[in-house]
Amino acid sequence: MKKSIYILLFVFALTACDEGFEETNINPQRPVQVSVNTKLTAAQLFVSSERYDNWRAGLIYQSTMMQHIATTAGYWDGDKYTWNRGYASSLMDRYYGNAIKSLEDMLVQIDEEGLPAEMKAITRILRVFAFSRLTDLYGDVPYSEAGKAVLEDILTPRYDPQSEIYADMLNELQESAADLGTGTSAFGDADIIYNGDQGKWKRLANSLMLRLGLRLIKVDPAAAQSWATTAIAGGVMESNDDIFYVPHTAGPEGVNQNGNGEVFLVDGNPRLSKTFVDILQAGNDPRLPILGARRSDGSTDPADLIGFPNGLDANMLLDMTGEENMDNYAEPNRSVITGLDAPMIFQTYAEVQFMLAEANVRWGLGGDAETSYNNGVTAAMEMLSLYGDGGVIDPADIATYLTNNPYDAGNALEQINTQYWIATFLNEYETFSNWRRTGIPNLVPVNYPGNVTNGTIPRRMSYSESEQVNNKANYDEAISRQGPDELTTRVWWDVQ
Amino acid sequence: MKQKFKYCMLLFLFLIYQGAMAQNKTVTGTVTDESGSPLPGVNVVEKGTSNGTSTDFDGNYSISVAENATLVFSSLGYSTSELSVAGRSTANISLAEDASQLDEVVVTALGIKRETKALGYSVTQVDGEEIATVKTVNAINSLQGKIAGVNITQNSTGAAGSSRVIIRGNSTLTGNNQPLYVVDGIPIGNDNNGSASLWGGSDGGDGISSIAPDNIESISVLKGGAASALYGSRGANGVILITTKGGTKKEGFGIEYSTTVNFDAINTDLQDFQTTYGQGTQGRVPATQEEAINLGFSAWGPRFDGSSVIQWDGVERPYSYTGNNLKRFYRTGTTFINTVAFSTADDKSNLRFSITDLSNSDIVPNSSLNRKTFSLNGGTVLGEKLTLQVNSQYIVEDVINRPRLSDSPGNANFTVGLLPGNIDVNTLNPGADEDGNERQYNGNVFSTNPYFAAFNFRNEDTKNRIIASASLRYDILDWLYVLGRVGTDHQTLRTTRITPTGTLFNPLGDMNELNRRFTQVDSDIILGVDKGITDKFAVSGLVGANKNSIVREDLNLGGNQFIVPGLFDIANLRNQNRNRSFNKREIGSIYGSLELSYNNYAYLTFTGRNDWFSTLSFPGKTTPNNDFYSSINGSLILSDMLAMPTFVDFLKVRGGYSQVAGGAQEAYQLALTYEIFGQGHLGQPLGRVSGGTVPNANLVPFNKSEFEIGFDTRLFNNRLSLDFAYYANETTNDIVNVTTSVASGFGAASANLGKLENKGVELLISGTPIRTQDFNWTTTLNATFNESEITATNADNSDIALDEPRTRNVRIQQIVGQPFGVIFGTSYVRDNNGNIVYDIDGDGVPIARQGERKILGEGVPPWNFGWTNSFRYKNFNLNFLIDAKFGGQIFSGTNSIAYGAGLHKKTLEGREGGLSVTGVDGSTFDADAGTGTSFTTTVSPENLQTYWGRVNDIAEEFVEDADYIKFRQFSLGYTLPSQILDKTFLQSVTINLIGQNLFYLSRSIDNIDPESTYNAGNSQGLEYFGVPSTRSYGLSVNVQF
Repeated sequence: MKKSIYILLFVFALTACDEGFEETNINPQRPVQVSVNTKLTAAQLFVSSERYDNWRAGLIYQSTMMQHIATTAGYWDGDKYTWNRGYASSLMDRYYGNAIKSLEDMLVQIDEEGLPAEMKAITRILRVFAFSRLTDLYGDVPYSEAGKAVLEDILTPRYDPQSEIYADMLNELQESAADLGTGTSAFGDADIIYNGDQGKWKRLANSLMLRLGLRLIKVDPAAAQSWATTAIAGGVMESNDDIFYVPHTAGPEGVNQNGNGEVFLVDGNPRLSKTFVDILQAGNDPRLPILGARRSDGSTDPADLIGFPNGLDANMLLDMTGEENMDNYAEPNRSVITGLDAPMIFQTYAEVQFMLAEANVRWGLGGDAETSYNNGVTAAMEMLSLYGDGGVIDPADIATYLTNNPYDAGNALEQINTQYWIATFLNEYETFSNWRRTGIPNLVPVNYPGNVTNGTIPRRMSYSESEQVNNKANYDEAISRQGPDELTTRVWWDVQ
Repeated sequence: MKQKFKYCMLLFLFLIYQGAMAQNKTVTGTVTDESGSPLPGVNVVEKGTSNGTSTDFDGNYSISVAENATLVFSSLGYSTSELSVAGRSTANISLAEDASQLDEVVVTALGIKRETKALGYSVTQVDGEEIATVKTVNAINSLQGKIAGVNITQNSTGAAGSSRVIIRGNSTLTGNNQPLYVVDGIPIGNDNNGSASLWGGSDGGDGISSIAPDNIESISVLKGGAASALYGSRGANGVILITTKGGTKKEGFGIEYSTTVNFDAINTDLQDFQTTYGQGTQGRVPATQEEAINLGFSAWGPRFDGSSVIQWDGVERPYSYTGNNLKRFYRTGTTFINTVAFSTADDKSNLRFSITDLSNSDIVPNSSLNRKTFSLNGGTVLGEKLTLQVNSQYIVEDVINRPRLSDSPGNANFTVGLLPGNIDVNTLNPGADEDGNERQYNGNVFSTNPYFAAFNFRNEDTKNRIIASASLRYDILDWLYVLGRVGTDHQTLRTTRITPTGTLFNPLGDMNELNRRFTQVDSDIILGVDKGITDKFAVSGLVGANKNSIVREDLNLGGNQFIVPGLFDIANLRNQNRNRSFNKREIGSIYGSLELSYNNYAYLTFTGRNDWFSTLSFPGKTTPNNDFYSSINGSLILSDMLAMPTFVDFLKVRGGYSQVAGGAQEAYQLALTYEIFGQGHLGQPLGRVSGGTVPNANLVPFNKSEFEIGFDTRLFNNRLSLDFAYYANETTNDIVNVTTSVASGFGAASANLGKLENKGVELLISGTPIRTQDFNWTTTLNATFNESEITATNADNSDIALDEPRTRNVRIQQIVGQPFGVIFGTSYVRDNNGNIVYDIDGDGVPIARQGERKILGEGVPPWNFGWTNSFRYKNFNLNFLIDAKFGGQIFSGTNSIAYGAGLHKKTLEGREGGLSVTGVDGSTFDADAGTGTSFTTTVSPENLQTYWGRVNDIAEEFVEDADYIKFRQFSLGYTLPSQILDKTFLQSVTINLIGQNLFYLSRSIDNIDPESTYNAGNSQGLEYFGVPSTRSYGLSVNVQF
């Protein structure tokens, strides 16, 4: 007995106290690296993003401010220009931690592994797109140092001036386009947007360059013209096959689903805005029964589709119409456009055609403005087939529409950008930016009690409140440069 | 079956009793003290046998002994005396007091029993009886207010929820601050199986709550670092040692049965909302059903007038106050606790087996808990020198519908608490229509119908847990022994959570099934010596080694969108997902302790320990993964060394310094990893960086050091005792997750630079103002003051953000130079004179301008008091406990939302005739100069809603003192006199009337319980629609056969 205890003690003492600890602390479930291809697929879904920010920044704020959507529901703050900091900052709160982090990580991995130049170019284009959303919405944002907590140990990235961000983004697009050739990139089908088609990515780079270039029209018209010239010369989107969108599926998890679709699944409050429906009705637009349906019975008969005025609460609705609810009004058509598997569209051939038309009107660039306008309207109608059979429009109806709504050279910019505003329905980030750039269409603001904008349409969204604490010096610097962190402050390119 | 068994036992006992009658002589007598007062509870034993009894409350005893027996009389605080029977049938004796004997023996680190006088640090021991008299679902709550230096917070998370226990202040900024629980020498897990946070959730209960109060022999609280040095890193926050009951030496074997029934009634005195204005907006009632729904939580209508007004369900009802909805919705909670224990012991072995059944119905409808505990403890001497002790507990816990808390989805408390006065919550019942769809009360789908939340949501868990240990001691020589011990805490948890189809905010529903396995294994081997060197000089000591390993594995099956409505099964989900998580960590240690004593009045103890941490190990890592730390402490019994005035019975001074080191609390924090996540998209796998915290490859152990001095004295024939301690502790190199900018891509970064200090005093005064034959009164007051300060976080001393409530305008934050966990939130903008700055809107309504975030309060109260009184009159016992906390604040989310909803009484101001507001006009305000033009305006009644609606965004308005004085515990007991029991087979019967949380003697904050945080984590001081607090009344009976 005694002997066995001594032996036990001896064995115990001989065993090193941390034997095997190094292996114990290696996570058995996590690899030290994964293929960059798997990261691209994820990053593309992250750029499309989730319900959280598509609901708050996208629909609750921008779609209502832009009078695509209207509702009585009090938490739809954009409808009435009230302020919910968490909603306003939602894109920032989600994008950096998912899309930006992944894209910055991919760029480092592509360099480290010496992967083909076209992979880096595609990643850079996607990165520019993600940052353009951020800077257009907030103005000065962390850019050069963002998403690099692990890569470069930057825990409190500085906010770059939007002027510098724009300069760099445009430069990035130009360099990336130059690195793209023809054929399929090494991403292959991991690229769920273009299946690795380098030509499409190149046209996208130039199309985004055209978009961002035109954005400068108020602050630096010469630069706008110069970049538009470069973009057009480089080759922009050529057909609806080039549309920049992320395809979604109805499941199996949230990451696969269209974030807007997730919102419509649970939120029955949004209605089509009266401003939007009235414009579609006036043009006898065949898109109306595809985009809208009556809430009460799903009817898509254009005669049944009534737009809901912005800026009303339930009581004001009752006072104004005697109606007790919003059931009689049109909502986004649940049988066509609100699916969990709907595409999330970022830039379309139609938009590019409208920009070409504008460039032609302004500077004589590109082809004939009328042709571009007609191409744009046609493409904007045809592209609804991306939503499935319910979105298909008879070509005859498109022709009729163009006949009834012909290009009007005397009112070209108004007409072109109103079409742009219609075509970017549900891509509200772009709607908001282009409206700020052009002021078209002329939206009449609402003046609801308690609004924080003195009855004007907001010009940006406010930063994450947490930045005031967690990144205070840089946040303060941005505020002192750009102006107060309010919805009425204008971003750099949005000069008065 | 149970009944039959009980009768068999009784019969068996009766036979034994008959056997005992065969003894030869009965001796009776009275035991008194030197002044002639009878002494109750004196042990009277026939020398050399196990035959014994004890004196009753009148000092009388009666015992059957052999003709020539010798009786041994012993009692704590008195010299033991012997008396030869020598044929007598009456034997009276008077016992002399003995101050040196007053030293109780307490259980200290590693389960070593030591005299308190030898200790250079503060240890508090609580007897099991104190815990078992007034039982709580979570036994640790019985300690609240009873121990200086220990701060226990009960939350508003329901009866099955967890508690927060903090000893001598928080010692880590972001890690676990709760003590190590050691049951019979074996550390157990105390993880929370889920808690509520910003977006809601339920409290999944903690590890300590599983221990049945009836099985507890004693609880020792090792407060300082010196006490816990031998438990190493895991003891850095203090150690609570729980010793469970073993068999006790008595005739034959004993049966003990105890039963408790407890009723919990909602405390309706707390919430005091306005009852004069009902549902509506801008001073008018809803005009339509839809408007009534949209105004679900808007009590901005006109004054009640009894007229007929449409409500959410389209029914018109009188517009008048309908009474208290809390009373209607919540039910009376009940708790039944039944324990039966069998025990036996002889000179060589002891055995105790017990079964406890605890059944609780919470006040939230459809929420309940059942816990069964089977405990088997046994010890035996195997050979001459070999002793085996085995302790085991098997616990099965079933909980149905842990209440959802915090954010409104699924949180019944939210909706019930916010209904305007003219809405009767009963009209919301049932929560679902005939198709199973939630009946919509409110425009916001995320505010769930409370009956739907209670009866249609499902949330069930079953926990199976084994806590077992075995130790084997071999006495090699009479002064040298070796002890081996191995123990485990093994838990499996099965949880099902269902959001049913028809839920408004999630129409297609979702569900999740979790299987969790938690296994902790500890093994120790100890070689110990205990030797007197000379008559006066003695030495004892030990060296040992320990290995601790913890494995936690979760298997999750989940998904959303039920295909067949109402069929809640994984296979019926359109979208399914599954994942597994695995976490393993180990600590290896060697340790030693050396105790020297001189002449029984001077003691010195040294300890040393080295811990190796797997969580700080990684291939290629160059910084240390281990640390050596030590402690020294000593005590002097001045009353034995020096001549003392006669009124001093005992005086001891003590002091010590200790260090402890600790590793990272979670595994796999050192290196960046990636993951393939989800189920791919369009056939493509998805990859990304894993985790949201920036890893740190160079983490080293953190350190905590503590300095402690104190004294302990007993005066005036032990009528007054005083125990005082001062301590100062400091944590350095704390491993913290410092919050980063959202734009960095990560939420936090691991750093190894946190610093935190606590300083405090603990005072325990105990007195016996009255001590007579029939009447005894003892009173004990404990007081604690703990002051904490954060002195560093990382290289930049950035703030660390902890939790925020759903209002999102306030957070608990760790800020350098501030106490632990300050409340940091939005404030009013004020001019230099403190006047509030307002923006005047288009309607002329002043809107308070929301200012920057400021420190608004301290989430952890620095002052804690407890005052216990016990009275004994003959066979009656009366005990009560009053406890208090001061100096802390709490943010009330309920009050904040109640402002916006027009329910808070403050919102009555101005409803008739308007509210006069004076302040500074924001359009003229110069922020740099701090000046602006003042204005005075009257806000018309219909605009009050806008005015108060803005105020509710400003957190400053809702942070109030959390001070309270509470009548915490009450018990009135009666013990049947031994004269009556002598004629029965019963040995003792005690009946207690008990009460808990009966009322507040003082409370600062309106409408809520100051102790109503919604989780037991580090973010204390946040309240948001928890389960309302209750008062409990009950009865307990304890019978020993």
